[in-house]
Amino acid sequence: MSPIKKGHTLTGKQYWRSLDELAGTPEFEDWLHREFPQGASEWNNAWSRRSFLTLMGASLALAGLSGCRRPEEHIVPYVKKPEDMVPGNPLKYATAIPMGLHACGLLVESHEGRPTKIEGNLKHPANRGRTDARIQASVLDLYDPDRSTVPSRGGVRSDWTAFVSFWREQFVAFQATGGEGLAVLSETFSSPTMMRLRRAFEARFPNARWVAWDPISDENRYEAIRAVLGRVHQPVFHYDRAKVVLSLESDFLLTEPEAVTATLGFTSGRRIESEKDQMNRLYVVESLYTLTGANADHRLRINSSDVGAFALAVAGELQRQGLAIEGLNGLTVPTMTGRAAEWLAPLAKDLLRARGESLIVAGSGQPAAVHALVMAINGALGNLDRTITYVDNRDAAYPSTSGLTKLTADMAAGKVSALVMIGGNPVYNAPADLNFAAALSKVATSVHLSSRVDETSAATVWHIPRSHYLEMWGDARSLDGTLSVIQPLIEPLYQSVSEVELTALLASGESARGYDLVRETWAGLVTGNFEVGWQTALLNGILSDSALPSIPVNAAQVGIAQAMASHGWSLRPTATTNLEVVFHPCYTTGDGTRANNGWLHELPDPITKLSWDNVATFSPKTARELGVQNEDIVSIQLQGRELSIAAWIVPGQMDNAVGLSFGYGREKAGRVGNGVGVDTYRLRDSQNMYRAGSATVSNTGRRYELATTQDHGSMEGRPIILMASLDEYRENPDFITGASVIPEFMAESEKAKERDLVREYPSSWKEPDYSTGYQWGMSIDLTTCTGCQACTVACQAENNIPIVGKEQVRKGREMHWIRVDRYFTGDVEDPGMEHQPMPCQHCENAPCEQVCPVAATVHDTEGLNVMVYNRCIGTRYCSNNCPYKVRRFNFFNYTDEYPETIKMVQNPEVTVRSRGVMEKCTYCVQRINRGKQVAKLENRSIRDGEVTPACAQACPAEAIVFGNINDSESRVARVKRINRTYSLLGELNTQPRTTYLASIRNPNPEMKA
Amino acid sequence: MAQIFPKWTNRLPLYLALGVLVIGTTVVLLLWYYGSPRYLEVGYRPIQPVAYSHKLHAGDLGMDCRYCHTAVEKSRFATVPPTQTCMNCHQLILPESQKLLPVRESWATGDPIEWVRVHNLPDYAYFDHSRHIQSGVGCISCHGNVAQMEIVSQVEPLNMGWCLTCHRDPAPNLRPVDQVTNMAWQPPADHAEWAARFMQEHNIRPPEDCSACHR
Repeated sequence: MSPIKKGHTLTGKQYWRSLDELAGTPEFEDWLHREFPQGASEWNNAWSRRSFLTLMGASLALAGLSGCRRPEEHIVPYVKKPEDMVPGNPLKYATAIPMGLHACGLLVESHEGRPTKIEGNLKHPANRGRTDARIQASVLDLYDPDRSTVPSRGGVRSDWTAFVSFWREQFVAFQATGGEGLAVLSETFSSPTMMRLRRAFEARFPNARWVAWDPISDENRYEAIRAVLGRVHQPVFHYDRAKVVLSLESDFLLTEPEAVTATLGFTSGRRIESEKDQMNRLYVVESLYTLTGANADHRLRINSSDVGAFALAVAGELQRQGLAIEGLNGLTVPTMTGRAAEWLAPLAKDLLRARGESLIVAGSGQPAAVHALVMAINGALGNLDRTITYVDNRDAAYPSTSGLTKLTADMAAGKVSALVMIGGNPVYNAPADLNFAAALSKVATSVHLSSRVDETSAATVWHIPRSHYLEMWGDARSLDGTLSVIQPLIEPLYQSVSEVELTALLASGESARGYDLVRETWAGLVTGNFEVGWQTALLNGILSDSALPSIPVNAAQVGIAQAMASHGWSLRPTATTNLEVVFHPCYTTGDGTRANNGWLHELPDPITKLSWDNVATFSPKTARELGVQNEDIVSIQLQGRELSIAAWIVPGQMDNAVGLSFGYGREKAGRVGNGVGVDTYRLRDSQNMYRAGSATVSNTGRRYELATTQDHGSMEGRPIILMASLDEYRENPDFITGASVIPEFMAESEKAKERDLVREYPSSWKEPDYSTGYQWGMSIDLTTCTGCQACTVACQAENNIPIVGKEQVRKGREMHWIRVDRYFTGDVEDPGMEHQPMPCQHCENAPCEQVCPVAATVHDTEGLNVMVYNRCIGTRYCSNNCPYKVRRFNFFNYTDEYPETIKMVQNPEVTVRSRGVMEKCTYCVQRINRGKQVAKLENRSIRDGEVTPACAQACPAEAIVFGNINDSESRVARVKRINRTYSLLGELNTQPRTTYLASIRNPNPEMKA
Repeated sequence: MAQIFPKWTNRLPLYLALGVLVIGTTVVLLLWYYGSPRYLEVGYRPIQPVAYSHKLHAGDLGMDCRYCHTAVEKSRFATVPPTQTCMNCHQLILPESQKLLPVRESWATGDPIEWVRVHNLPDYAYFDHSRHIQSGVGCISCHGNVAQMEIVSQVEPLNMGWCLTCHRDPAPNLRPVDQVTNMAWQPPADHAEWAARFMQEHNIRPPEDCSACHR
């Protein structure tokens, strides 16, 4: 039977998901034709299946004996009930998550005092209610069973009072010398209270020093700003105002701390309702394949070290086309070759057309020279004060690698007698050439504030447990200066203190409460009645009008050539054929602080789709030349240092580039993160923080198994993502109709052309009446979706989805209810990339329901395809029959052995599933029921937008819209009327309630590729 | 040679088949009856840590259910009152009573009283008190006449089939919303018409979907 025309799409592009698929290897074919991978249903443990059955038989017999008696359950009420607390109804509190120099506003859901779910605060301008996977997963860190519970001294249990009296002695001694030999190493922060206390500390100990440092930061950007403007100002990028964006290796959509803000802004310029709307355009020049590159309209792969030369060539081309760029004289404009040369003229023309509405951004890995040049070009294009503003943030501690280098040298020389580290983990992540661990051993008194006894705490005298941000008082500014209170949701679970409380002790010698310290700072920030202003700030989550005023930056002031000359910076193309190592932060583990978070480890990387590991990535050509295949262990030599790591081939990466991500290979992260991946900080030195040339790579001949979700649930090459360019869309607004596949036997039918198949060919089943009441539906816009997977983690947090671990993921047993599929398009060496979120499609004519022998999956009257766990007997027929492969089976009782603290993060509104049960997306039926309850009590119906599933709520691109499709005025009904709407595999007549909006790209017609 | 098996053994298979049928039917019937919630659950009457009498408080003294079960109109839980609620009165009334010792101990130490749950639904069933109260389902419909119970016991089976009987035909169990806690309320003669009108006005359409309670 082959009624379906395969691969018939508008653009005629070939879609493929992995190299194996493209090559049609037997492994892939095998994988494809099994619903569950080979051996997935076998028990490959130390126990044999037989001994398991024996033991189970025995325990069943015993269980039978005790089963007759009804278990006695207890109801334990409060002794004194807190005000406003109604058991069963969660409360939400506004707080903020500090992210280095940035912060996002949050509303955190609390069930009877337990924070369980994080959502964005709509009132906060930085994220306007949206979040990303890292923020979503941070609630799990609160309940991390490997957090330390008490302070320790020399590895021996101590307490906070002991540390306070210890510090008082030190305090008195250091006061005599003005703090000679005393040093503080902190993370970067942007907090009025922290800065106030730091100033108090510096006033008390004028000879002491305070160094702020992060392993991954925008330091190069700040260095450029300092060189050009004389002092550091905080740049604020307004992607929402930009019509043309050029990213010079900046991954602003994913790994940068301000990714949520950038995604919100960038996608707002891409949201189109009809073919008449305008779209912004994104050019990306990069070495590795980043998610920003995946969303580009034009992507150029280039050596990371040549990005600066490319930027200079762009500047030269802009000058040639008539733009005067101040201070560029004296710089030799390099000549570009190949595709880079073809890019210059149309790119410069596009930038010039969008003067004042364009935005050039360089990545944090690029050297200061590139950032300075980019400032000059942005200035000449009139972008400063428009798409980029600068604010003077006096509450920010900026990172300083030179400060760390000098501090470490002084420590090694014995000039530092006491070092207090507020957060951070320098023993693990300081540049390898500094030899921080050896220097630390020379310090007599060392103190480390950390959530766990990590690599650094193990090497210090004192370890002080650090409070999670959900259990402390504090404050934080976002990049634009908007100020929020960090409000605790829960008393500290352990004997921990916050950075504010520790700093206060350092500065004053007295232990103080975070609440009082923050209020003391805010007394100077709140205008008018303090109590009223403070309560309003707590309620709203922000201090109104606290965004900092932008500093006017004069373009002529940007003297790039002088700055470069005085700093000895250069922008020459390297034209190297050596292997170049490019370091990048991992989206999930970041710099390694989130390494004990199972949700994040299990989240596949958006590009490689690997979970639970980091790898060295190579382009297909380089891999061929090196004789390296996926899962080979390669040895990377760099400046006398060596690292063995598994290899992975990423099509579209620059040839001769080796991509290495940070944040893995932790030794003291905890039970989840220990030994996951390889520590790549060992290759990094302070001169080559983000890239290093002249690496040698050799294949060790050993193999390492990686867990990829790449080929899971493949859709057999059918047109799953429909896409067109904006021009094609304008020419043919109804391209969807032409692009969808119509089964041959109904090709002649008029109705079939209107894609209204079910009405023409009635189903064999009794069709319920869906014309009354609430009818839930969802629309996912593939144009704005960036593929960041915030939805996946938000869903995991909301719906108690278990973590299954690397072995299980490798067998295809990951449990995510909404996965994000990634497809490559086009040429193997330099392909494009598309992402598609894939939850249950809630088919009205659902194939899964038709094969369930026990009616465990059925339809309800509101169009939900519901899964009844207590009926399910685990035949897995439904999953076999699902064309979208969105059903997940509990092969084991994954939640059974959760530590007590992890049980606290579970959502009490959702059943925790056991072994042998199928599960899948429910459209967050618990939220629908909550919405109905609230509406019922007010005797009205649910308003549009009142019920939002976790995925749609989190999405920073606002790509997912949910609501009642029976209400023609609802947002989802309006979005579904857009002519780009299509049903996935609509030809199967499944009538999905989840529909997609086709992906539209906006390539420059004057540019070839 | 004598027959090994006597003649009656010819009919042995028939007897066996009949026997299996009879015994099988009996076992099924016994399990059906004795294994049902109506037999196993109804009448469950655990002894509570405090000898609290609903008959005294709700019946003789006429206290409203909502004086203690405060969240019943707002939340899916009716909630058992905090010790504080008991002490509102018992600071002054019977402050020396031996029966109230556990309450005073709880108040003094801050340790909560561990009441024994009487009405226990499975964890995968999400029952919502507030929506039923708002729809005019009386407390008595599920909990029985608590105002006459010295010790609370379960009077209804609370199984899914029992829930569905009412969801399919809710009218007999509906009453004016201001009468839901009234244990003595009797339906008037024209109750059926009133209920039909009430359901219309309050848009009462009890769901029979799985997703109504299971999620």
